Amino acid sequence: MSSYSVTEPSRRQKWFAGILVVLYALITILPLVWIIATSFKTPSDAIAYPPKTFFTPTVEGYVNVFTTRTRLTEEQLQAVGEPQTWYDRLVRKDGLVISGPSRFAERFTNSVIIGFGSTVLCIVLGTAAAYAFSRFKVPLKDDLMFFILSTRMMPPIAVAIPIFLMFRSLGLSDTHAGMILLYTAVNLSLSVWLLKGFIDEIPIEYEEAALIDGYTRFQAFYKVVLPQAATGIASTAIFCLIFAWNEYAFAVLLTSGNAQTAPPFIPTIIGVSGQDWPAVAAGATLFLVPVMVFTILLRKHLLRGITFGAVRK
Amino acid sequence: MTRFFDGLLHFRRGAWEMLASVLIAAGVFMLMQPFALVLYSWSFLVTLLGTVTFIIVSHFPE
Amino acid sequence: MLHSPVDRVAEATPHAMAKRFRGLSDRSLAWLFVTPSIVLLLAVNIFPLIWTIRLSFTNFRVNRPNAEVAFVGLKNYVSILSDKDIWLTMQATAHFLIWTLVLQVLIGFSLAYLINKKFRGNDLWTTIIVLPMMLSPAVVGNFWTFLYQPQIGLFNYAVGFLTGADPSSFSMIGDVSLAPWAIVIVDTWMWTPFVMLICLAGLRSIPDSIYEAAECDRASKWRQFWTITIPLVLPFLMLAVLFRGIENFKMFDLVVQLTGGGPGSITELTSINLKREAFEKWRTGYASAYAVILFVTVFGLASIYVKALNKVKQR
Repeated sequence: MSSYSVTEPSRRQKWFAGILVVLYALITILPLVWIIATSFKTPSDAIAYPPKTFFTPTVEGYVNVFTTRTRLTEEQLQAVGEPQTWYDRLVRKDGLVISGPSRFAERFTNSVIIGFGSTVLCIVLGTAAAYAFSRFKVPLKDDLMFFILSTRMMPPIAVAIPIFLMFRSLGLSDTHAGMILLYTAVNLSLSVWLLKGFIDEIPIEYEEAALIDGYTRFQAFYKVVLPQAATGIASTAIFCLIFAWNEYAFAVLLTSGNAQTAPPFIPTIIGVSGQDWPAVAAGATLFLVPVMVFTILLRKHLLRGITFGAVRK
Repeated sequence: MTRFFDGLLHFRRGAWEMLASVLIAAGVFMLMQPFALVLYSWSFLVTLLGTVTFIIVSHFPE
Repeated sequence: MLHSPVDRVAEATPHAMAKRFRGLSDRSLAWLFVTPSIVLLLAVNIFPLIWTIRLSFTNFRVNRPNAEVAFVGLKNYVSILSDKDIWLTMQATAHFLIWTLVLQVLIGFSLAYLINKKFRGNDLWTTIIVLPMMLSPAVVGNFWTFLYQPQIGLFNYAVGFLTGADPSSFSMIGDVSLAPWAIVIVDTWMWTPFVMLICLAGLRSIPDSIYEAAECDRASKWRQFWTITIPLVLPFLMLAVLFRGIENFKMFDLVVQLTGGGPGSITELTSINLKREAFEKWRTGYASAYAVILFVTVFGLASIYVKALNKVKQR
């Protein structure tokens, strides 16, 4: 700082503020660190008292979350023979054998399919609608925008009752297509509101120039506006993806076997004896880490995303 | 205060929106307050009235 | 320029597509662009809503498809609005709502105020603080039951370490007097960053010149805080409070995984109660009336929210 400014905090103030914020950040991140740490513990380390900060890491939790295991007697173990792979050896230590894959990979894949499917659909519909709301005189524009936003505000459980009935009669319950449609509808409000903000910021002169050069409206939209809005579209997409990824209420009520996503599944992971915390933690870690990475990538647009584009920063 | 009533009489949006917001807030308070069952019972009607008022008056001129 | 970007774009556009849309006027293009979204929302949101309103006047039950459905008028509404248990559920929601809002506003605003002191590395720490709110509430809620375990749980251990209490002497989610606070703590942990981010945007929107002018008038820092900072951040704070208020009014995933509404029904928030009526007792007509009551409440709050939103946008 070269010149003295009345609004610039003093060095002492900065230090004081910095220490308090760092302290809060360390406390707030502790549960997340604990989840990741627990995923690398053995079940007995996970429930040790006092809680263990230092431990020998193991991937047992990760093996357990992907497999189902059974306990065998000594003779049966003899009959099975020597463990073949590293993960076989890992569970054999506890006198168990792997009896097959668990449903975790399947649930995770469902999350990916439904998450990406709804995001793509949502962005396509949302970009078109947002462009129209931004550039054209749509009758009842304010009412439509409010209507779109209000659909997002509805309590999911209340919406789920008729959706449940509707999906059942249409044969959409517990299908990927049904969940993709539902998440698209729920996310559309976010995508329209956010994208309208991004498109509003693109100077209208670009399109006008293109129109004078003989472009049609659609070409102007497709070739001039879309590339300009690419960053906005990308961050909106990540927000939609995170929502669909994290959603629980609809998933738990409308899916059971075929199309169940990971959030309703992870809490049901149990081991041979009681809740297997390292396995739960491993599942949670695999599930949460992508979102953490996205959050760090998105940090510039975060505020915009969570306020429906109201606060731009 | 007089301006508020003036706004109501002349169907100005601001005053009516304020009235609707107060009705909604009162309804939500009545719904969740722990004091009297009677208030809880009538809360829905108050919120509904406020919400409907809000939708109508949002089309009034400024 | 012979080859402007626009020219290149013109060459690249497929001929067939260009032809197809050439005839479209702005007006029809607008409709073409808006209609799919509106249709989807009508099908997945409005049609079910109307269906719910219709069901709310009947005694329909999903699990008895062959039973005769009778029109019962306002009976469902009357019985919900005079039901003491649902009233208690609303009060549990109110407890949760008020305390999460108070804590999140206090902590969130303080953090934003401190971060706005622009110390070195504040961006990094802000990002770390924000992490919890982006995660799946259900998965997080489930894992917090582990942190809340008596004796082995990290939370109980930390409390024991700090206060000297025996970590196995209390159970945050098993104890009737502690469970309402257990859900408040987790929600505050998760959503304080949200309030913080919005407050930070508010603080950053205040131009330095206002403070400089106040400094010239020899206003004390304390006075500046109450006459400049607070009033100018207030619209942003309103926005945050309304949004969190609506979200927590319909809170389901986090709490259902954390306590499941228990012990007893002490943390049974409205949405959890509604889920019981609709998907465990299968009283569909009754639950529909219940849902309509929540709809109208949220819709009312949402309209105030949009008003607040426009106020902030004008800044």
